[in-house]
Amino acid sequence: MGIIPLILWLIQDLLYIIIFPGLVTILVVVVIIIWLERKIAAKVQMRFGPLWVSKKIGGALQSLADLLRYSFQEVIIPEKTDKWAFILAPGLMFAFATIALIFIPVGPYYSVLFPSYYTILFSLALIIITPIFAITVGWASDNKFSFIGALREGFLLISYEIPFLLSVVSMVIIFHTYDYINAVQNQLSFLPGIILNPLAALTMLIVMIRTTGRFPFDITEADSELVMGLFTEYSALFFGVGMATPYVELYNFSLIFSLLFLGGWWPFTLNVMNPVYGLILPGIIVVVKAFIVMAVLVFLRAVYPRYRLDQAVRSGWSYVLLLSILSVILSVVEVMFLR
Amino acid sequence: MSEKVYNIDDLQNINVEGEKYIILQIGPSHPGSGHMRLKVWLDGDIIVKVDPDIGFVHRTSEWLSERREWIKAVPIVERIMLPDTVHANLAYVLTVEKLLGIEPPPRAQYLRSLVAEINRITSHLYGIGIFGIFLGSSTVYMWAFGDREPFIDLMEMLTGARITTSYIIPGGVRWDLPNGFKERAETVLQYMERRLKDYEDIWVKNPVVQARTINVGTLKKEDAIRLGVVGPNLRASGVYYDTRKHHPYAAYSNLDFEVPTMKNGDSYDRLLIRVEEIKQSIKLIRQILKDIPEGKIIADQIYNQLNPVMKKNYEEKKRVMFPAFMIHMRPPAGEASAKVEAGRGEIFFYIKSTGDKYPYRFRWVTPSFRNLPYFTHVTVGHRLADLPTIYGSIDYFPPEADR
Repeated sequence: MGIIPLILWLIQDLLYIIIFPGLVTILVVVVIIIWLERKIAAKVQMRFGPLWVSKKIGGALQSLADLLRYSFQEVIIPEKTDKWAFILAPGLMFAFATIALIFIPVGPYYSVLFPSYYTILFSLALIIITPIFAITVGWASDNKFSFIGALREGFLLISYEIPFLLSVVSMVIIFHTYDYINAVQNQLSFLPGIILNPLAALTMLIVMIRTTGRFPFDITEADSELVMGLFTEYSALFFGVGMATPYVELYNFSLIFSLLFLGGWWPFTLNVMNPVYGLILPGIIVVVKAFIVMAVLVFLRAVYPRYRLDQAVRSGWSYVLLLSILSVILSVVEVMFLR
Repeated sequence: MSEKVYNIDDLQNINVEGEKYIILQIGPSHPGSGHMRLKVWLDGDIIVKVDPDIGFVHRTSEWLSERREWIKAVPIVERIMLPDTVHANLAYVLTVEKLLGIEPPPRAQYLRSLVAEINRITSHLYGIGIFGIFLGSSTVYMWAFGDREPFIDLMEMLTGARITTSYIIPGGVRWDLPNGFKERAETVLQYMERRLKDYEDIWVKNPVVQARTINVGTLKKEDAIRLGVVGPNLRASGVYYDTRKHHPYAAYSNLDFEVPTMKNGDSYDRLLIRVEEIKQSIKLIRQILKDIPEGKIIADQIYNQLNPVMKKNYEEKKRVMFPAFMIHMRPPAGEASAKVEAGRGEIFFYIKSTGDKYPYRFRWVTPSFRNLPYFTHVTVGHRLADLPTIYGSIDYFPPEADR
């Protein structure tokens, strides 16, 4: 390979990471989803929601304004904290949540850095790393409320990780591949995953709600008990990053959900190797599907209060685990009898 | 529920010294504490002991009232119980009337009951809203606070003020029913009845709410009596006691209403009883507006003190201007006490007069203060996340307890 194609290839990858479906798209999606969350909740609750920043478009830039405010606030690092962990953990949390996107393809000809047949495994591995930094945050803060928040995060992490992996495993069994692109092609030629295995889809949805701290599993930052949970001691941009991370995770999970269960870029089935047809058009379809999933999940805030820790852990080890095991069994049965 | 079962009676025997327990200082500036501090000893996630530290918003209402003319205590006692102003006002005025020996006319009695019931609904909605935000439901919080507004507007129409009405004065009330009040009230009541169904759908019958509140913070009937808790919390534990029924004041002896009671005395029952009482209050308001007799709204003793301009004003506008008697009032020497069923429970007033311009001794006990034992006795053995549940369900209002 010559030097010029190599540079072009790197630039192309960089564009993938930075613009679509990478950082810029994340920023836009997160800004819109936070705005939408607040607007939906406001509609249910007989209020206006964000209004005064950019009044003509209904306050859509409110989240950007908040981000700016976080950027210029004073950074306060309490004296007794573990300083390096305190500073690094939120950034690493955000970074790993974002890096996972490299392995989540949004088009049939998408690959960053290297093409791989194991994208499902890679993306899961990166997603699972993120909560470890959440626990680090709670440990480093030297605050009892953060510490309790971290413990709760740990309990919930352990009890919902296995159902999550099992629900993905059941889809891997059905599609007989570790690659998202193959999984989507399988669905395009047969049926979408949500019809093939609704149990796995349900498990995945519950785990998504839990992992990203949506209601009714908003347990780690229950404000009436733990002030702000993990991020009690944080201020300024660190706090902003910490608040944005669950939304990035939500974006990741929703992309995975739409790839594994909602048929990926269906109904777009044109198979041409071209940046427009191979990435951007199918990519937009996938992102829109993910966005709809996110909108449904953030709507739950308006309906449910939060569960208690022991109730959430108990349901994680009983109903959700059972559901995920059943979904694996369903997949095995389908593979044995349908193929 | 928990591995270790802590008993209320073991409370004194637990040695909380040493490093075994996490000590959490919840408050005084904490989203889940209100204007107080809760010192909590935790064994893992289980609460071993709670020490409520009150007094952060003590406002010396008794001291202030003992150094002012009698009528000036009305705004002071109102400001202690902001969501529930009318009852504080009413309890104080009832005590002063006993000292003065004045009996208000029937129409004034009905108007007192009317404004008290409107205020009870706003107070219960306030409690339900705070309970909602403690469990994490911002929807119920916003709904309840939004639905207080129509009732507060009714109070404004009737009394001229939204919250601190100072409507009830010795001998009667200040304003008569305005024109169009009955129609407006009927609209509001029908609106509230529709909304109660929404509350049932999203809050009372919500599976998460039921999981969080049923069998949490149970106070048995005998314990409730022994600890002396009052109001809806007492009735949620199954005790049939309501000052309106047992020691009637205002127009309650002429009115027909039920006193709802529950069986279990857990947080869910304390939520249900508030919803039931809102329904009863709606029924009472309808009844009062139907039955209200014609006549004066102020006792003759006060009416005779009005000067000609004031009398003309009273005949034209049906509004009582304060005669000089009000500020120079010197009730004869003696003691008096009165009880009123406020939104959160029973207010008790005791005043001693020496025939002076100022009260000699001014003493009152507010319902929130009497519901304080819930923190020490009911929370033990539950999980940390149950603390806001119990706090929200007893509808505790720290400024009211601190006085």
